[in-house]
Formats: sequence, structure tokens, C-alpha cells
Amino acid sequence: MKKRQMYLRMITASLIRRRSRMLVALLSIAIGATVLSGLVTIYYDVPRQMGAQFRNYGANMIFTPSEEGFTLEDIQNAAAVIDSGDLVGIAPYRYENVRINAIPVVAAGTDLAGAQKTSPYWKVEGAWPAAGGEIMVGAAVAENFRISEGDSIEVSFTPEMEDGHDVVEDTYLDFKVTGILDTGGSEEEYVYMSLADLESLTGSAGRADVAELSVSGGGEVLAQYEERINQMGSPVQARLVKRVTASETTVLSKLQALVLLVTVVVLALTMICVATTMTAVVAERRKEIGLRKSIGASDRSIIGEFLGENLMLGGIGGILGSVLGFVFAQQVSIHVFSSSIRFMPMLVPVTILVSVAVTGLSSLLPIRGATQVDPALVLKGE
Amino acid sequence: MSLLELKNVYKIYGELHALDNVSLKVEKGEWVSIMGPSGSGKSTMMNIIGCMDKPTKGEVLLDGVDISRESARNLTTIRRDKIGLIFQQFHLVNYLTALENVMLAQYYHSMPDEKEALEALDRVGLADRAGHLPSQLSGGEQQRVCVARALINYPEIILADEPTGNLDEANEEIVVDLFHKLHNEGTTLIVVTHDPEVAEVAQRTLVLRSGRLAKEIVNENFTGKIHFDESEGFRKEEVKAANGIQQPEAPQKSGKKKGGKK
Amino acid sequence: MFWRMIRGTLVRQWKKMLMIAFTIALGASLASAMLSVMLDVGDKVNQELKTYGANITVVPKSASVLSDLYEVEGGQTGAYLQEDELGKIKTIFWAFNIVDYAPFLDVNVTADDGTQIRCVGSWFNHHMELPTGEQLDAGITSLRSWWEIKSGAWLDEQTAGDSAQLCMVGSALAEKYGLTAGSTIHLTGEMSDQTLTVAGVFDAGGEEDDQIFAPLNTVQAFAGLDGKIDSIEVSALTTPDNELAERAAKDPGSLTVSQYETWYCTCYVSSICYQIQEVITDSVASAVRQVADSEGAILDKTKLLMALITILSLIGAALGICNLVTASVMERSSEIGLMKAIGAQNGIISGLVLTEIFITAIFGGLLGFAAGFGFAQIIGHTVFGSAITMKPMVIPIVAILVVLVTLAGSIPAIRMLLHLRPAEVLHGGH
Repeated sequence: MKKRQMYLRMITASLIRRRSRMLVALLSIAIGATVLSGLVTIYYDVPRQMGAQFRNYGANMIFTPSEEGFTLEDIQNAAAVIDSGDLVGIAPYRYENVRINAIPVVAAGTDLAGAQKTSPYWKVEGAWPAAGGEIMVGAAVAENFRISEGDSIEVSFTPEMEDGHDVVEDTYLDFKVTGILDTGGSEEEYVYMSLADLESLTGSAGRADVAELSVSGGGEVLAQYEERINQMGSPVQARLVKRVTASETTVLSKLQALVLLVTVVVLALTMICVATTMTAVVAERRKEIGLRKSIGASDRSIIGEFLGENLMLGGIGGILGSVLGFVFAQQVSIHVFSSSIRFMPMLVPVTILVSVAVTGLSSLLPIRGATQVDPALVLKGE
Repeated sequence: MSLLELKNVYKIYGELHALDNVSLKVEKGEWVSIMGPSGSGKSTMMNIIGCMDKPTKGEVLLDGVDISRESARNLTTIRRDKIGLIFQQFHLVNYLTALENVMLAQYYHSMPDEKEALEALDRVGLADRAGHLPSQLSGGEQQRVCVARALINYPEIILADEPTGNLDEANEEIVVDLFHKLHNEGTTLIVVTHDPEVAEVAQRTLVLRSGRLAKEIVNENFTGKIHFDESEGFRKEEVKAANGIQQPEAPQKSGKKKGGKK
Repeated sequence: MFWRMIRGTLVRQWKKMLMIAFTIALGASLASAMLSVMLDVGDKVNQELKTYGANITVVPKSASVLSDLYEVEGGQTGAYLQEDELGKIKTIFWAFNIVDYAPFLDVNVTADDGTQIRCVGSWFNHHMELPTGEQLDAGITSLRSWWEIKSGAWLDEQTAGDSAQLCMVGSALAEKYGLTAGSTIHLTGEMSDQTLTVAGVFDAGGEEDDQIFAPLNTVQAFAGLDGKIDSIEVSALTTPDNELAERAAKDPGSLTVSQYETWYCTCYVSSICYQIQEVITDSVASAVRQVADSEGAILDKTKLLMALITILSLIGAALGICNLVTASVMERSSEIGLMKAIGAQNGIISGLVLTEIFITAIFGGLLGFAAGFGFAQIIGHTVFGSAITMKPMVIPIVAILVVLVTLAGSIPAIRMLLHLRPAEVLHGGH
């Protein structure tokens, strides 16, 4: 039999036959590793997950036309620059002066599904318009015109006077009011309908005045997109909404710093916990160390054996911890952000390495201490 | 040249002279008992011979090498190569099987060899219990594993510290019988004991008192060839009569533990 | 005798006991630090979210809707709020939660080349000494924290003095007229004309880039609207809305008396709006949904996140302590075997071991609590630049936790040891 085989045989014997004690140690290492991998996963995922929450603030990028105005196609071309995974929502807006009961009101035509994504904070009493012929009215307009949800209103539009025509007929369309919009801002003074409805009302298509985009990503990513779109040479001018982007960066960096610090503190304390447990576990075996010395083991081989055993424990604990940590992070992510977390393969070897290192270091000292002990003393008395 | 020679050895702890100018010689193949009451310096002597401690003063020559000046590291090597230790409290690694415990000594010495270890267990009559853990063995069986472990590396000296101290009579006999066998095979035996019955079967008995060598008794009737069982009653009486070994005081004798478990 | 033995253990085995105390201290410090941070994180993040600006706007009752819809000349509709009522905002029930506010007055002025420019009067860093003794610097310096100052600096009302005639200019406008910090611009209003010195140029990334911001009295002088303001933006710390708050927001009258009390005494954005309307004559205060709602969502998520991290670390700390206590009780098997051999009852042995561990735990716990307080402050100062408020409820929680965990760690180990037969422990040696 090879020496190495005997070595492995001893270590496995110790791990298997001293089950209860080893479980105590293993449990402690696994907890440490779980905390490590769980918190680090969360730490790295917080910007992404919280970033998604910050999209609740709505559009953080705006497309405005250069001199001549732009078409829907221009907007789409420009938006194609943005990675589809980063683009939370896009809503082109076209504003026209229309009349309700002959009183002028600004009507906004938009992609209603996109608008819901770029303005998630809009509070609509009733429902968003879904089909054609439906309209959403700002709260201020609703109050002024005494409009309430479910009413039918007639909207008229006066086309611009063209040369050669003396009289231009107004166009009329009937709308059903599906909801009243409450935002606390100037949006309450507009009425909202689908772009298609506004186009049929005005008789001209393909045009937009502005587009709102909600893009996930940090300040640098956004600045890059802005630059690339502006360099395309299309009529689209991209601008960042400073209020949203700057504030998001501020708050998000604080949050990440918080999670980082908490992670560091928790990790440090847990690792010390692991270390003290390992110290206790090794201290218990002083007698055995004395015995091994008395039958001729050198200090080096004792350190080698005990360290080998504990490193193995560290490895098993690390593997266990990386699995449990991921499960924990996943649970947190699902409960807090209702989305699943990204698995970081790099974290598995790191967790195992760290737990092996912590276990090794924390058992090395007591083992070395134990080998200093006079075997005669340990073996004699209690 | 003697295998082991102590020359004017002192071991001093503060005021206490645990060993006070002790000199002795042990020849190769000899069987020597060391007796004495508690505190007489037996353990100190045993530790020094077993390379687990160093004398304060004096020389300890083991196989011609003065071990009293060696470093702790070298002492470990010498102990590993030359000495097999047997303890009163057995001291087996409790999560290794009997076989593995024996192999452990091989492992530290040179190469673990399962066959050889099994043979050693066979010599102490435990071949069939090789796969048992210490907790599954009786006290006597545990001590026999220790004997097997002590002799596996063919040491120059087997040093036994109260080897029967925790054993009942039946197991005591088995262990003493084993010593006979080892002696017949030419192993040098040094047995530290309280128990005159165990001491007197040796060739020579050294009696320690307050750190000094008080008496040396030579067992002139020692044959070594006679099987213990056959002549037990007869020889015991005779040796006692012939040598007039001083019995240790009564309380110490009753202090001998008979609590080994079956 | 009992206490003598305990003293003996504590004195003679001080190293082991120190290790247990140390681990318990670690666990307790972790628990108290995490709990304090968790309980305070809502307030702290809420403060941070104030960078998004005001979450409540106050406008005159006969709303300015018309001014926007019909683009009435000069944006003046005749409905104004009174400047002298501004102080009252800091007297409402939730005054303490009002962290910032600023009045606004929009007027159109004409530059020398004839173009109309929107000039906004406001507070920059208006200093207020409140009747409560509190001091507050309020204004757009903090309410528009996202503005990027391109040249110069924020206009400082407190050092400038009344005669300074300063203003801040939006970046688009500054580019058009070639204005930088220190240059002057002559503007003509309805009632008067003034020459303003540019204190700073800002980039707001919005329509404000085409506007001029000046101190309130300067702008009032342009239009002859002394003591009048258009709107107020208020930044308040609020609790995320729930169903009650939403119902109340629609009609406070629909609530029962006790519901009304609950609502009024909780810092929902709707109740703060309601309270502002009570003190500002003829005003309508409404929540800026973009800010108020998003704040709520982010606050909830952050709190939940911290709560879960806290739970993880508490479990970790608990198991860690449990483990060590178990390991160190088990280490004493031979001592306990001896005690049994000389006739000690199980109860006495358990009592002895438990008392020792608890004395150790109390020391460790106290130490840990102090250390945890320190950790929390470090986190607070590093991340938020302000101290974490210690909630008194942390103390009993940590105390109970330490007791439970110590018990949970020692009882199984003690039970196990009591089942050992003394002979085995004393003889086997292991």
C-alpha cells in the first residue's frame, strides 16, 4: 500500500467515523460558505435588480428631432442601437391641438403599450385604452370638461389651411373614455390616444414629435448609447433625462455600497465564527495528536494529516455553501424582485477556495500549537 | 556495548529531584522491569528512555547515541525507529480500526503494509478482529492491538508503561504471555509497572525509590522458555521466596485498576 | 460550592470561556448591527431618494391648467399663492418629514434682442429659522440636485445679499447668448427691467435649459407680483401608499373617524398633501406620481432586501454560536464523566454547565452589542454619511437571540454527555 493511500484512508476514516464532530465543523464551514456565496451573488445582482426597480421612475432617455422633425422609422432605427435586453420600453409621442366641445386641448398619440412601460408610475383610474376609438383623459382635463370614465366624447381636429382651399373641413372622431390619468404633473392636462387614431384624425401618418425611452443600465452605459445615436447622422437627437439618470446613479451606488459593507461585515464575522469553531474542533484532539507523536509521527506529518482533513472539510463545506448560497440568493431575488438571479459560475471556485483557505488557516494555528505539546503529558493524565 | 545505558541521569523540577543520579544498563534481548511506588520517578524514567523527555543532567546512550542532547525533532525520529511504546490507557486512535491503528505506526515509520500489519495482529491473536474499531474491542484486545502496533516496526526496545494497569487478570495473563513470546523472539523489553506479579517474571527488576535506584533483583530462575501457564503457580512462589521482593505498600497495590471492560 | 465550582471553571478555563464569549460577542454584534441597519435603512434610503426632487406640488386652487392649455400670455392667470404663507408648511403635523421645499414664480421677460425668455423665481438656499428652533436651508440647490453646473457655482442667497442681482442661466440659453459665470444680461419684465449677473450656468437635461432662474424677489419685481408665487414644490419623507391612503386621497370624508386618525397620523403622501392644503390658502397639493410612487417601490424593495440579508446573517450567527457551544461542551466529556462518577446528579451538572455558559454569554453579549453599535455607525457613516439611529427594540431582540441560541447550542450537547457512562469516559480516554 502506498503512503498516499494510507493518508487518504486515515482522513476518510476520520471524516466518516467521527461523524457527529465532523458534522459540527462541516455545518459551520457550510454556513460560512453559504453566507459568502449568497451575499456576494446578491451584491453583484443588486445593481441589475434595483436598476430594474429604478425604471419605475420612467423614461431616462428622450429622442427629439432636429430641425425637420423625424418619422417613426427614424425612431426605430435609432432605438435599434440600444441592446434589446437593455431597452425596457419606448414610446413615440405626437402632439396635436384638438378640440373637445370646441375647446382646444392637446392630444398625444402614442404607442400605448410602450407608454405603459416608459411611464410605469402613471396612475390610471379605469383602464388604459386598448382598442381604437378609446381615449385616456388627464385628470385636469377631466375636471375641466366634467368628463368621467365611460363617457363618450367627440374629438375634432382642424387641419392647417392649405393654399388653394378657402375652407377646410374639420374632422371628427368619437371616443370612449376608458380612464382618467393622474400623475401630479403636466401630463394631467393632455388626452391620450393611440397613434393610429391620431393619424386617422389628422389624416397624416408616420410623424412623431418626441420619443421617450426607458433604458436599463448605469450612467456610463446610457452615455454611450446617447453618443452612438447622436453620431448616427439621423434626424434623431438623443438626450438623457438628467433628473432620472443622475439620481439613479447616486441612489444605486449608495445601495450597492450598503450591501457591500454589510457583506463585508457579515463575512468577516462569519469567517471568525468558522475559525473559532475549527479551533475548538482541533483543540479537542490534542490527545490524539500526542498519541501520534508518541508512535513516531513528525510534526510535519501530523500537520499534514490534520490539515488535509480540515481542508477536505473546507472543500465539502464550500461546495455545499455555494449551492445553498445560490438557493438563498435565488429566494431573496424571487421574494424581493420577483425575478430570478443570474448564476455566477466564477463564484463556485471562489467560495470553495475561500472556505478551504479559512478552514486551513484557522486550523493550522491550533494544530501547530498541539504539536508543541509534550506527548508524555497529554498521554499521562486526563 | 549495551543497547541502553543511563549514566548519572538527573531530572530536576524546581526543588524536586524526579531522578537523582540514576545509572543503569540494559543489554540487547534483555527483559527488565522497573518498579516503584507512585512518585518514585518511574514515569520520568520511562519518558526519558522513550525519547519523550530529556534529562536535566547526565547521558542516555541508546544504541551508542547520546539521546539526551538531541533536538525534539531528532528524538521523534529515534523514537519512531528504535522504540515501541505501550501505554496503560491503550491510546488507540478511536476512529481507526485495529488494523489501521497498526498500520499508522508503519505509516509514520516507513511504508504501510497491510499484510504485515495483519501478521502482527495475528501474533497477538487478533487477526479476526482486524476490522473492528477500538470501541468494539475489550480492554485486553485494545492492549493487544497496542502491542501489535509497538512491535510492527521491529523496534530495538519495547517500552511498556503499566501495560496491565487497566486489565483484568485474564487479559493480564494474555499480555504477559505475549511478552514472553516477544522475549523469546529476542526483543528487548522494558516494563514499567506497579504490579509485582508482572514485574517478577522479568529477568531483572529495578526498584526505584524517590528518584534513586534502590534495588536491583535478578530473577535467577528465569528460563524464558517455560510457558507461563504451565508453571505459573510454582514459579511465582519460588521467585518471591528466592528474591524476597519488597512488596509495595498495601494501598498502592489496591490502587491497581481492575476496571477493564469486557 | 456550586458557585465555587463555577468560579473555578471560569478562572481556570478562562481561555476556553474567552473563546465562547468571543464567538457570542461576534454573533451578538452581527445581530445588533444588522438589525439596527435594517430598521433604519428605510429612513436612510428615503433621504437618498430625495435626490429625485420634490414629490409634492402645491398650486392655487383655480388651477394653472388654463395657463398651460391656453398658453395665456405671461402664464399669469390671476391665481397665486401667498409667499408669506410658506413658513406654515413647516408647522403641519408631519412638519418633521418635510425635508425641503421651494416656491416658484414663472414670468416671461424679454431680452434685448426681443426674444421672450421664461424667468423663474425661486429659493436657492433660503435660510429659515423655525419657531421650533430648527434651522433649514431650503431651495432648488437641493431640490435640483441633478443639475450639472457648467460654469460658476450655485447661486448663494445667504452671502449674496439683496442688491446683488444674481441669476442662474440654463445651458441652452447660455450658449445662445454666450453667457458664462460673471457675465451680465439685461432683461425687461412687465413692470421693470433689471441687469442680472450670471452666478452659474447649469445643464438640467430638460426644458429648464432654456430658462433663467433668479431669486424670488428679483422675479417678483419684473412682474410687479410682490408676495405672490405660482407653485410650491415640497420634498417630504413619506410612507408608501396603501389601500387606506388611496381611498383617503380620493375623499378623506369617506373614512371612519379611526381610519381618518390613522391616515392623518401616518406620513402617507396623501395625508401630507391634505395637511398642506389645510395651511396654504386656496391651494391644491398633489403627489408627483413619478417620484412618490417610485420611492415607495424602491423603499419597499430595499427594506425587504435588507430584512432577508439580516435573516441570513442572523441564522449564520446563530448556527455559528450553537456550533461552538456544542463543540466546547462536548470537549468537557471527561470532566462531566468524573462528576457523574463521584455522584453528581444530572440536574446539578446541567445547571453547572449552563450557568457557566450563561455567565460567559452575558459578557459576550454585552461586548457584542457595543461592537455591533459601532459596526452600524461605521456602515451608516460610510454609506449614508450620517449616524444610524439605534432603535431600543434591538436590545431585547438581541438578548433573546443570544439566550435562545446559547440554550440551543448547549442543551443537546449536555444531554449527549449525560447519556455517556462515566466508566467509558474515564477509561477510554477519548
